[in-house]
Amino acid sequence: MKLIRDVLDKKLIDLEQCDMGRVSGLVMYVGERSQPHISHILIGGSTLWMRVHPALARVSNRLAQLWGPKHKGAVRIPWTRVKSVGRDIKLDVEARETGALAWEIWIARHIIERIPGGGKEEVE
Amino acid sequence: MKKVLQITLGIITSVGGFLEIGSVTTAAQAGASFGYQLLWAVLLGTLCLIFLVEMSGRLAAVSKHTIVDATRERFGFPFYAVVMLGMVLVAFMVLVAELGGIGLSLQILTGLGFPWWAIPVSFLVWLLMWKGTFRLIENGASLLGLVTLSFVVAAVKLHPEWGSAAHGLLPTMPGDQKAKYGFVAVSILGASISPYLIYFYSSGAIEDKWDESYIPMNRMIAGFGMTFGGFLSMAVLVAAALALQPKGIDIDKFDQAALLMTTALPKWGFYLFAFSMLVACFGAALEISLAIAYFFAQGFGWNWGEDLEPSKDSRFSFVYTIIIFLAAVPLLFGVDPIKVTMISMALTAATLPLTIVPFLFLMNDPIYLGEHRNGWVSNSVVAIIILISFVLAAISIPLQIIGG
Repeated sequence: MKLIRDVLDKKLIDLEQCDMGRVSGLVMYVGERSQPHISHILIGGSTLWMRVHPALARVSNRLAQLWGPKHKGAVRIPWTRVKSVGRDIKLDVEARETGALAWEIWIARHIIERIPGGGKEEVE
Repeated sequence: MKKVLQITLGIITSVGGFLEIGSVTTAAQAGASFGYQLLWAVLLGTLCLIFLVEMSGRLAAVSKHTIVDATRERFGFPFYAVVMLGMVLVAFMVLVAELGGIGLSLQILTGLGFPWWAIPVSFLVWLLMWKGTFRLIENGASLLGLVTLSFVVAAVKLHPEWGSAAHGLLPTMPGDQKAKYGFVAVSILGASISPYLIYFYSSGAIEDKWDESYIPMNRMIAGFGMTFGGFLSMAVLVAAALALQPKGIDIDKFDQAALLMTTALPKWGFYLFAFSMLVACFGAALEISLAIAYFFAQGFGWNWGEDLEPSKDSRFSFVYTIIIFLAAVPLLFGVDPIKVTMISMALTAATLPLTIVPFLFLMNDPIYLGEHRNGWVSNSVVAIIILISFVLAAISIPLQIIGG
């Protein structure tokens, strides 16, 4: 597996086939006695914008402090929760519980649900 | 039998959805200023579009990925961010132009100025997106768009000289006004090869759950639909050449363009023109708003789907809501939609290498397409036409700006 080609920027799918974002970054663990290995997948946050320019990452951080859900920064998913790496990356997690959908839920509750016909975000 | 129906519907919707303010204004301006001389630009643009639409459908059917998905995955986020910036800026300008086109149609029908229509029209476009389904938007707007066939009737009734028209299919240099000639040619290419249409088509293929069995159908829809659509653009150009050029009318106002219909059809022409433009721009405004929302949602890996309830793909719905109402703002201040159209079409052509070249790389990638990769014919045709468009844009846009 080639990390940049096969993992970075790939779409993440949860247990219920829900899209939960794309791989924005990877965390590598380099121990003294073990071989270097990928420990976490990062989703969203300033990690993504840092890849374009550090100034954009600072702007993204500042905007997130003014606005949006409580969960700040990138979501970290342990590599051990990866089920398969193919066209998309399938994870052994529920998207709602990881914080990956924090913005989706925040926008639904604060904006979309308040417009007539927007429906309800939560599934009963 | 079901496939035959699907192909027919696909072709009809491609034809009905082909014309919009960009293609009509640029073709009318070409006809009014240069007679049949710029027919080659419509031909070249349509040819390129046929190949690109076929490719985008094939990519979606084989890989189950849209162009945007594949661009982000294959080229990484920094590159995607650059394409996003270029595509969204240009598509936003085109959306302003389309909403303005609806406003201008209503202006000539009711006498009430187009800025007054900006908010009601944006609201109506948004409401259809909010409540409508993908099929309603794709098929409904395009079927109504078949009224644009009236441009063919107008062109035929003006009795064109077919020999001279055929001559226009080959590029020739104009005697004077070289910068304007180049600029109008670039605008026609930009209006024909619209990246938003290609993004919309590949997203539609995913919404309709295409698989490899759809490849022949995709080829027929792209080939016939876009060819007939190209004929519509040519009909506008021919009608303008016959109705406007002899009178020395240059299109810088919308109601002047209506003359290309009223000369041929004095009784109904005016209303037919206004209604055709109204429907055509409305359909295009829906497609562009959706294409921009698709671009964000697919690039960032959000939930998306026009058939979902808005709260189930809230970020996707939020993007189109914001974009549609923002596009009304310049119109409220009276920004001229015709000027926005001409500039945005030329800019579309200038940014084509940014949007189309990465797409060509994807179409040759065995990871996404396996045995269904591009052949040398489609690669060469698209690469050459994009190169011509870019070179023409790089020369004529600065010349046009300097010349005012």
